[in-house]
Amino acid sequence: MIFWEFAKRNIRLHLLRSTLAMLGIVIGVVAIASMGILGNSMVLAVSDSLRTVGDSVIVTPHVGGGSARGFGGGMGGGPSALTITEQNFQQIQRASVPNVAIPILQTSDRMKLGVGKDDIVATIYGMNPDDVPNLLKLKEGGYSRANSGCLVGSKFADDNKIKVGSRIAIGADGDKGTLRVTGIIEERGMAFDVSTDSAVVATRDWFDNAYSRSDYDKVVVKVKNLDDLATVKTAIENQMNKRDKIVDVMDTRKTMETIFAAFGQITTFVSAIGGISMIVAGVSILNIMMMSVTERIKEIGIMRSIGAQRKEVMSMFLYEAVILGVVGSLIGGVLSLIGGYAISSMMLQTTKYLFVPSSLVSIVYGVGFGIVVCLICGIYPAWRAANLNPIDALRHE
Amino acid sequence: MDDHPVMVFRDVVKVYPLPAGDVTALDRVSFQVERGEFISVMGPSGSGKSTLLNLMGCLDTPTSGDIYISGTRTGDMSDSELTNLRRDRIGFIFQYFNLFPLLNTLENVTFPMMLKSKKAVDPEKGRAVLRSVQLDDELFTHTPMELSGGQQQRVAIARALINDPDILLCDEPTGNLDSKTGAGIMELMTELNRNGTTIIMVTHDPNNARYSQRIVKIADGRIIK
Repeated sequence: MIFWEFAKRNIRLHLLRSTLAMLGIVIGVVAIASMGILGNSMVLAVSDSLRTVGDSVIVTPHVGGGSARGFGGGMGGGPSALTITEQNFQQIQRASVPNVAIPILQTSDRMKLGVGKDDIVATIYGMNPDDVPNLLKLKEGGYSRANSGCLVGSKFADDNKIKVGSRIAIGADGDKGTLRVTGIIEERGMAFDVSTDSAVVATRDWFDNAYSRSDYDKVVVKVKNLDDLATVKTAIENQMNKRDKIVDVMDTRKTMETIFAAFGQITTFVSAIGGISMIVAGVSILNIMMMSVTERIKEIGIMRSIGAQRKEVMSMFLYEAVILGVVGSLIGGVLSLIGGYAISSMMLQTTKYLFVPSSLVSIVYGVGFGIVVCLICGIYPAWRAANLNPIDALRHE
Repeated sequence: MDDHPVMVFRDVVKVYPLPAGDVTALDRVSFQVERGEFISVMGPSGSGKSTLLNLMGCLDTPTSGDIYISGTRTGDMSDSELTNLRRDRIGFIFQYFNLFPLLNTLENVTFPMMLKSKKAVDPEKGRAVLRSVQLDDELFTHTPMELSGGQQQRVAIARALINDPDILLCDEPTGNLDSKTGAGIMELMTELNRNGTTIIMVTHDPNNARYSQRIVKIADGRIIK
């Protein structure tokens, strides 16, 4: 095809100019694709660390002002001054039937992990031994039913060289007693219900005795049928917040969806910033195409006079824009992969999220957008060239 | 062979509307070109020669009157149809050769063939036409910049002839050549005419006009002889 040949040769003739225009497209594609890869990698990284399965409803005391009728004061240095009473728990349990409601006590305290070792501060959960298997999986050892036993998180165990059978003295100088580790909990990451990776899980009775507390910090309802999540949430709210808002009820699946939607919006936003650089590159393509048309007015006049149709002249300039767009975008796509690798390595310390379809699709979007922008920016100059008056074009010097 | 005259102008008027007032470039021009003729069009600057050439080449349309190319009235044709008419029936030869610098000699010559066939063409016809205008084979792969003025004009003539047009329109074909080279080009055109090609040549040069069989003189937009 002779007009394709014209387009190729004209790009070769003005190689520096064409390369600079392509560079703009390369930068635009890299900006869009790299931002997309980074955003997606962040979403995947967060979703990996938020291991919570979206199958729970979390009930916590309402902390947004107003009265807290029916709640006891916090004791034992818990993170919240408000707690859920046994009576409230019973109401929540009734509203959640047939699902399992798990009451949880929580505090932080000093502890000593061995003779000669410094004290550390860690979270301590108190749970009914019967409930623990519903919530936590062990990677080592077994569940404890005795008040002298406890479970520890895997990170807590690794960081402090704790093994099954190790002893932990809780409280300043061990005044709350000593617990023997019976099992190590599987890594769970950050979670909405209990974050046990760096925590100790004791029995509820031991917790009561140690901290003189019988009220709960939160209740986790494990919903058997995921379709019932919203129903259970509503049932608890209706039961507990009839007159005053006394509990906050969180549907973990909905919350995770909200978090991922927010990340998606952030990714879109940063990609849009990359898109601006692509539009700047498009203007540069428009500029060089206009220059190309202006320089070749006489040539267009000759073509038209010896029988080239308008659409053929137009196609010649569109081919030129497409070549610039495709070559620039493909180079940009390859560089995006390299850039994404570098950014992921530096910011997330891992590249495992790079070669997944949801990240690679950012490159496809970037390349596609680059080609489309070039094509759009080539349309006006091509149309202008095709509609030149052949007589005026022939006279042009 | 088509029995119609190659070209007929009947009461052709061309008026350019300008802000300062309308300018009549051609005023009721009528003439006829028979197949195989070699006609020179002469006249002073501003007489209407270029307008006449543009109308003959279907690059422009008349304000009134009729133009027929090989019996086909051009007035009702669309831009696309006029473009095809130029491609298939008219060959253009320009003063400044107007070859495509991005294409080599053979590609320049076969370009109109490609426009017609819409696909790759057998270059053998291009080589044959280039040989017929006495261009050496070794120059076929040269770009226009690597050719002399005379060689470039021979390539331009070959390009004009490649689609076997009914008529060759020449605009000062020797105007950019030295006298010896120009004479060579005129000899070539005379030979083409002897072989049956109809030629209309716009020229200022009376020496060139002597090669033609008929001279049409134009002044103030009217044919005076």
